[in-house]
Amino acid sequence: MMEMLAALERTGFASWLRESGSIWAYPTVLTAHTVGLAILVGASTALDLRVLGAGSGIEVSAMEPLFPLMWWGLAINAISGAMLFCTDATTKGTTLLFMGKLASVAAAVIVMVLLRRSLFAAPRRGVITSGAQFLAVASLLLWMTAITTGRLMAYL
Amino acid sequence: MMHTLVTTLKATSLSAWVINTPSVWPICETLHFIGLSMLVGIVGLLDLRLLGFFRRIPIAALRGLLPWGLVGFVVNLVTGVLFFVGAPDQYVNNSAWWYKVAFLGVAGVNAGIFETTQASALFRLGPHDDTPTTFKVMGAVSLGSWFMVLYWGRMLPFIGNAF
Repeated sequence: MMEMLAALERTGFASWLRESGSIWAYPTVLTAHTVGLAILVGASTALDLRVLGAGSGIEVSAMEPLFPLMWWGLAINAISGAMLFCTDATTKGTTLLFMGKLASVAAAVIVMVLLRRSLFAAPRRGVITSGAQFLAVASLLLWMTAITTGRLMAYL
Repeated sequence: MMHTLVTTLKATSLSAWVINTPSVWPICETLHFIGLSMLVGIVGLLDLRLLGFFRRIPIAALRGLLPWGLVGFVVNLVTGVLFFVGAPDQYVNNSAWWYKVAFLGVAGVNAGIFETTQASALFRLGPHDDTPTTFKVMGAVSLGSWFMVLYWGRMLPFIGNAF
């Protein structure tokens, strides 16, 4: 496993990303990761808050188009995240903190899918159940955990 | 003037606390990212609606979420002030920080103008209506400037006098 991570770290792409002083290398990928986060967690937070009662004038079924936006944010972060990972694979890939981050992200995405089903699948479309509210709380907590573990990785 | 500000701030006990307590900076950074998610998520959604997307959501109703966007902004203002007081020279000497402040100003002025001049137009809009050009322009300025704030913030360690 260590060899795979080391090999990944030594690839031309990973080396360029890590060692090039260019702003288009590591800094740009890092910015893309922040943009994806803002889109994904931003949209998710807006939806979660609505489910929990804020902005109650909004008909919740009208918020379904937020999901494609969230998937785009996730795609941007999966790609930029993979790029960031390979620059330091041997360290990140063996730390509990990073595994915790991936686990939170995975759990948050599962919650996202479950929430979509709960809110928008017939026959209870647009109805906010207590189950949905539980999922909304879980979503907020999981994304906060992902952000926290992600930020703390800078201190590894 | 900047030099006096820097030396004055660095002499404060708040500055010493921020710099010398190891957990403060990472916790503030984490809160800063959480705050930006709330701010960009809610204000960004409103901006997208102003641009004419998500038309099934009435704008007036979306504004019900704004207080939470404001919470995000306040969290970031407080953590931002703590960063600044902790290490003022690091920011004052960094061109990226000045760009960030400039775009914060643009976002703020744009929001102020919107709040004070567009209220009546806002409430005249029905749920599925397209938005007038003024809304589209101000929505675009808002979305663009908040993403520029994010960009210049993220670039702080890399552009200008890197820390």
